[in-house]
Amino acid sequence: MNNNGRLLLIAGAWLILWLRPLRIALEGDMAVHMTVQVPLLIGLGLLLAVSIRGQEPHWLAEADWLGIPGIILVIFGTSFWMLPRALDSAVADPWFDAIKFLSLPLLVGLPLGLSWRRMPPLGRAFIWANFIPKLGAIGGLYLAAPTRLCAYYRLDQQATAGWTLIVIAVALGTLWFIAAFVGWPPQHAAARPPSRDTGSKPGPPLLALPPPYASSR
Amino acid sequence: MTIQAVQTRGGISARAAVLAYVVVCGLVLLLMMVFGLLMRLTQAQWIDIQPDLFYVIMTMHGAGMVGIAGLCGATVMWYFVRRHVPVTTGIFVANLVFFLIGALLILGSGFIGGFGAAWTFLFPLPAHSGDLWSANAAAAYMFGLLFIGVGFLLLHLDIARGILSVYGGLGAALGVKQAFGLAPESEGPPPAVAASTMALIVNILGILLGAAVLVITLVNLYVPSFAFNALAAKNMIFFFGHVFINATIYMAVIAVYEILPVYTHRAWKTNQAFYLAWVLSTVFVLIVYPHHLLMDFAMPTWALVLGQVVSWLSGLPVLLVTAFGALTNVYRSGIKWNTAAGLVFVGAAGWAIGVIPAIADGTIEVNSFMHNTQWVPGHFHTYLLLGTIAMFLGFLTHITPRSNNAWAPTGFWLYVVGGSIFVLAFLTAGAASVPRRYAVHLPSWLPYDRVGSIGAALVVVGVLILVVRFLVSVTSAAPEEAGA
Repeated sequence: MNNNGRLLLIAGAWLILWLRPLRIALEGDMAVHMTVQVPLLIGLGLLLAVSIRGQEPHWLAEADWLGIPGIILVIFGTSFWMLPRALDSAVADPWFDAIKFLSLPLLVGLPLGLSWRRMPPLGRAFIWANFIPKLGAIGGLYLAAPTRLCAYYRLDQQATAGWTLIVIAVALGTLWFIAAFVGWPPQHAAARPPSRDTGSKPGPPLLALPPPYASSR
Repeated sequence: MTIQAVQTRGGISARAAVLAYVVVCGLVLLLMMVFGLLMRLTQAQWIDIQPDLFYVIMTMHGAGMVGIAGLCGATVMWYFVRRHVPVTTGIFVANLVFFLIGALLILGSGFIGGFGAAWTFLFPLPAHSGDLWSANAAAAYMFGLLFIGVGFLLLHLDIARGILSVYGGLGAALGVKQAFGLAPESEGPPPAVAASTMALIVNILGILLGAAVLVITLVNLYVPSFAFNALAAKNMIFFFGHVFINATIYMAVIAVYEILPVYTHRAWKTNQAFYLAWVLSTVFVLIVYPHHLLMDFAMPTWALVLGQVVSWLSGLPVLLVTAFGALTNVYRSGIKWNTAAGLVFVGAAGWAIGVIPAIADGTIEVNSFMHNTQWVPGHFHTYLLLGTIAMFLGFLTHITPRSNNAWAPTGFWLYVVGGSIFVLAFLTAGAASVPRRYAVHLPSWLPYDRVGSIGAALVVVGVLILVVRFLVSVTSAAPEEAGA
């Protein structure tokens, strides 16, 4: 699919999601609102990032050092739309809902798509490692809440949302672990040390470290 | 650009970082040991510390020792695993910084805020202090643990990144194919890599669950009506705590694999049994934690049965290959014993011996009598004090400059003899049903406490000698190096 086709697809999907019957259906249940509609809107932003990556201004790429500013924007954006009050307002007020429909693709999905590739592997792993337990903890808090957190959702819907977040956290954690355990072709397999490579020499005169790993060996 | 070039550009010397770790570990270890000695002296009624302060000290000692044991293990692990995979010195340093911030928060929560809910911070106790501490003090403790957790998470993720770049997957780095005979043993990972992989797998999972329950507890502190399921919270806390403290051993045991061969002049033999042991222990460590909840009648029966059965198996695979491997490595090797070799050998022995009372306590029938007695601190001090910490002290002595050995044997014997007296006092008191975690003891319990206090004092002096010897050697060797 070429770029224009992709942009048309994004615009079409965005409009379909905005159509009142679908919007009402997706926002009618707290769990569906949080775990279907919100990720779909973020997904549109990710697709948009793929389309405009080639035209990204150089200064923006330079300013987004290691992808950190972009990912911070993503964290703030997603955190805001996890607040029960924000969800309530989106259901109650179409204008507020429109802000959600614009902010999630443009301030969450788009920067996520652009900044994620710039982020080093350690940073990406750290983001995953924070995101997964955060989902679980929020799910736990929804279950622990003594009252309704959203005026527009019932207590049982809130509990369903809590369990859904916990299940997603467990599923993501399991998939993340399986991916790391099974892995992929290593970058430096030829440099693997032998299995009986033990017994580093003690270090005169002071704390002489054994030689570090070198990929060329 | 090579890894070395990146490290050089960052300007952080790996040698300085390891030195900083060893110094921090040595000093914090001593401070926490003094806290432990103060508690034993109080129970022995040789000094007078009020119960509220006793429980603050107990909380600081528990959390501090778990944390510093983790840091000791991380030092050993990083020092050796960096030979085999690319790691980032900056992240290693960041872990130390996070640890120090966390430690200051925890010490402040106790000695300024009065927080004394034990390291277990069992939900919802932190929010129900009976006016002994404020919500802010409890929050400082939680944030302290979170800071330490973030540091360790970064460290493990960085090592995982390095391991994945060389081995492709954590399974390959753990030696799964070798464990099941699907690949030649000679192509398996070195012991340091297998052990680091195991430690990072279990610790990342433990830290993530621990972080989740800490956040929930923080919310509960300020909005008590958010009442999370207490049994679920206890499960999460003990999963995190069990995994973290076990990982300290699995990180520190690398010292046995790496240091003993230096003095025996024999490489550590890895084979199918070795890799199978590490694979099995990875699984067992993750599923055995219910043995901490054998007194919780609300736990599902299957979970308690699992806790008991896996307790009998959990530590054994790696322990057996390590203890047997240490014996075969030493046997007829012509080893010239010194303090470093002696300490890592004692570490393997302390771990092996400590597991026996632990297995007994992991049995439901035994646990129902022994759970709240000093049997429990008896067994975990055996494999932590005479296991993990002995391995770390062996590492510390191994990297100490050779010039000053006069005091090392004295420190060694004070530590080993004192440590043995100390843990035996706990175990015999436990067998006599002396309760644990009591600030005030009955007269009939005092003999155990007094013998234990003497043992603890000997340990403190022994460790002080080894740490001071290291510090003196380092400071006196530094000018020589600068001039060289």
